[in-house]
Amino acid sequence: MRRVNRASGLAVVVVLGIILAACGGQTTTSVAPSGSPGASAPSTATGGTVRIGIGGSADSLNPGNGLLSEAYDLYELVYDTPIGMNQQGEFIPELATEWSVAEDGVTWTMTIRDDAVFHDGEPVTAEDVAFSIQLYKDTQDFPYLPSYASYFETIEAPDDTTVVLTTAEPIGNFEANIVFMYVLPKHIWEDVEDPIEFQNEEMIGSGPFALGEFRRREFARLEANADYWNGAPFVDEVIFQTIRNADARIQALINGEVDAVAEVPPTAVPSLRNAENVHLHVADVAAGGSIRDILFNMVAPEDCPREEGGECTGHPALQEVEVRRALAMAVDKQQLIDVALLGLGSQGVGFVPPGLGDYFIGTEADIPYDAAGANALLDQAGYTDTDGDGIRECKAGQDCPTGDLTLRFHYADDIDTAPREAELLQDMWAAIGVRIEIQGLDPDTLTSICCPTFGYDIILWGWGSDPDPGFLLGVTTCAEIPTGYSETGYCNEEYDQLYEEQGTETDREARIAIVHQMQQMLLDDVPYIVPFYEQTVEAWRTDTFSGWLDDNPTFGLAAPENLTVLRPLE
Amino acid sequence: MNGRGRFLLRRAAWALVVVFVVITFNFFLFRVLPGDPAKAGARDPRLSQASIVALTQRFGLDKPVLLNFEAGADPFDSQYFAYLGALSRADLGMSYAFRDEPVAELLGDALVNTLWLILPAQILAIVFGIALGLLAAWRRGTALDVVSLTFSLFMWSLPTFFLAILLLVFGASYLDLPTGGKVTIGAEYASFWEELADIARHMAMPTLAFTLVLLGEYMLIMRSSVLDIFSEDYILTAKAKGLSTFRIIRDHALRNAMLPMVTLVAINLGFTVAGAIQVEEVFSWPGIGDLTVEAISQRDYPVLQGAFLLIAVAVVLANLVADVVYGWLDPRVTHA
Repeated sequence: MRRVNRASGLAVVVVLGIILAACGGQTTTSVAPSGSPGASAPSTATGGTVRIGIGGSADSLNPGNGLLSEAYDLYELVYDTPIGMNQQGEFIPELATEWSVAEDGVTWTMTIRDDAVFHDGEPVTAEDVAFSIQLYKDTQDFPYLPSYASYFETIEAPDDTTVVLTTAEPIGNFEANIVFMYVLPKHIWEDVEDPIEFQNEEMIGSGPFALGEFRRREFARLEANADYWNGAPFVDEVIFQTIRNADARIQALINGEVDAVAEVPPTAVPSLRNAENVHLHVADVAAGGSIRDILFNMVAPEDCPREEGGECTGHPALQEVEVRRALAMAVDKQQLIDVALLGLGSQGVGFVPPGLGDYFIGTEADIPYDAAGANALLDQAGYTDTDGDGIRECKAGQDCPTGDLTLRFHYADDIDTAPREAELLQDMWAAIGVRIEIQGLDPDTLTSICCPTFGYDIILWGWGSDPDPGFLLGVTTCAEIPTGYSETGYCNEEYDQLYEEQGTETDREARIAIVHQMQQMLLDDVPYIVPFYEQTVEAWRTDTFSGWLDDNPTFGLAAPENLTVLRPLE
Repeated sequence: MNGRGRFLLRRAAWALVVVFVVITFNFFLFRVLPGDPAKAGARDPRLSQASIVALTQRFGLDKPVLLNFEAGADPFDSQYFAYLGALSRADLGMSYAFRDEPVAELLGDALVNTLWLILPAQILAIVFGIALGLLAAWRRGTALDVVSLTFSLFMWSLPTFFLAILLLVFGASYLDLPTGGKVTIGAEYASFWEELADIARHMAMPTLAFTLVLLGEYMLIMRSSVLDIFSEDYILTAKAKGLSTFRIIRDHALRNAMLPMVTLVAINLGFTVAGAIQVEEVFSWPGIGDLTVEAISQRDYPVLQGAFLLIAVAVVLANLVADVVYGWLDPRVTHA
């Protein structure tokens, strides 16, 4: 299954990891303990309740069980992790004050701070950290976290402030595997028989906020943790209120019923721009938004995973890189962004979004829009429109279903803007003599024709990124063709080799170079087109609280970094 | 046993059969859907083979669907009979999306919220719909008739979500009413009455929206039903005997005109347990409709399956009640 659009799991979750940074990762050094003089914020008042309108509701209070971004918003606020991430995408100390790897490359030691306490007053020790990581590793039924914890062979706490982890082989992304390890109180969780069925209603953590009350599908009320090791938040409470309908959410903000709203639909942007006392925040590239992708079925006949149900009925022309490249050149990405997203998106390049900082290859590397060039490329490749119907014919000997470049085109129907995008693509490709037959499908049906079935030609779908580029770069490896994880059937041994290398490369600069090389390879071979990265639009009232962090592009409203520094206006 | 008792028994037995058929249909409906439920339940592309196996076992999907034909195995050791067994213990399984939450609990909470919303709305709509329909029929052709007819037709044909959004914006902008939810979150109440007032403020617009939508339909049916009765010979006879219009309506017309209304109200009652899906969605009312929409968007099959069952049972029950009321209003049906 793929993660698409809002709310659907890992995608968003993980991107949030970047935005949210981690609990307590208060990079703003001016943050002073509550009420202390000399804070540089315009207001020095404390207290008050921040109300945030959101479209969904956390699916579980048990950090192991969470699937939705709304749940991870809570985890980030209520729990600490050993290592956090700041808004620049850098890993920063949280519960672990320092960490290092031994000479052998596989033994990692983290030093755990001794001044953190859980909301019930018990101290946080290395024992709790080790226990939590072990729990995530052992509970395979948890949806996401075991895949991060699985890298660690042994997890031990020799004393109260030290955690020692070993990996089977050197890994280049140790920190990225630790940032979601929410530290649970061992004294509560060790008595839990089945962690999967544990509802965790008390939700005792050590983060800057403690759970006050949670009503599923209605609201979550969080109370400031006055004893937080990194200074208590300035506000007393934060309430996440579920207002499912987007228009109602906007109205609630205008009325002042809520102080902020997440997920502002593009259509509401103009009216909010004119609203009084409302600040509109367009979170830039990769911030909580999804990566859109246009996939080509290019699985080679010899790679077809027949045992796994592979049918491999893709259009033969898509096997040729010239055809795929021509299709990519004919896509006017800016037009897609302007028309389908009303401008609220940024140019896509590949599966490594700009939010990952240095790992992003840069927009200059992208295949530029060039319809004339695309036409020339198809002419050269031997596809010409011989019967004058505007569609190029297949070459002699090619087994095309319709004899010409008529391609099946499916989109995931849970993406609101997909129908519009599909129509735009239809026009763009008609200009180079390629016809598409558009059909929207629900994600389950799409999965069943997609992979590992390979019973499609082109699919418009979406992904979200992990804080580590390794996650999505793994999609296009040969090994993932039979697992159904690879949607395109792309298989390149050289690429697989690089994938292995980046996984064990511990030097950041060297790893960046490999990751760039891999992205370039995908741009050259065109297994997919990434038309854009969606932007997230949020809004807040300017007359209730001050200190909203809007100067950073990769920032989310619900981030601990934001909610811990807000102050009420006098 | 008298005729009425037999009639009721027959109806109840029939309702049970229908519920059983629905259960079975429901069960198979969710198993012919494309996609692997284990993967759908797990929602992770990186799921290891071991996890898939574990999840498949957790959800009992490793067993055959209908009957177990394996040598030596209990033929009833199958998904279908496991489902029936669980149902008999009121166990609807665990939600995929809310992984640690039993479906029955989710549905129970949502049902209570939905009843909060639909019962007042239904009662208001029934009372005003019947009154308005009666008045319109009685004063047929007058301005009153034309106005109420137009109003009802308009309300009936207006898309529910549109009406709901209009009311939401109106209520929020001019009446200072909240835009959604059931209570003001985090509010502390001085007394029970204050809390009730808060709930009432939240309920006002959704209830109004739902009432208006139902009212139009009730009024139209009532009006045409009464008009039908007015053309009957016994009404003419009553008039000839010199009875007042009020008595004619009360003693002769109303009871007969109520027959189609009973059917309509019963069917509506059943279906509205499904929650006024659109009203709940617009006003973020945490009821069955809202839950169903969320379950669909999350592809949470156990919750959907449970919701469908609940809705079906509600409709069957409502029909049973309608039959009973019918038998009381019109004794002829108990002898049919």
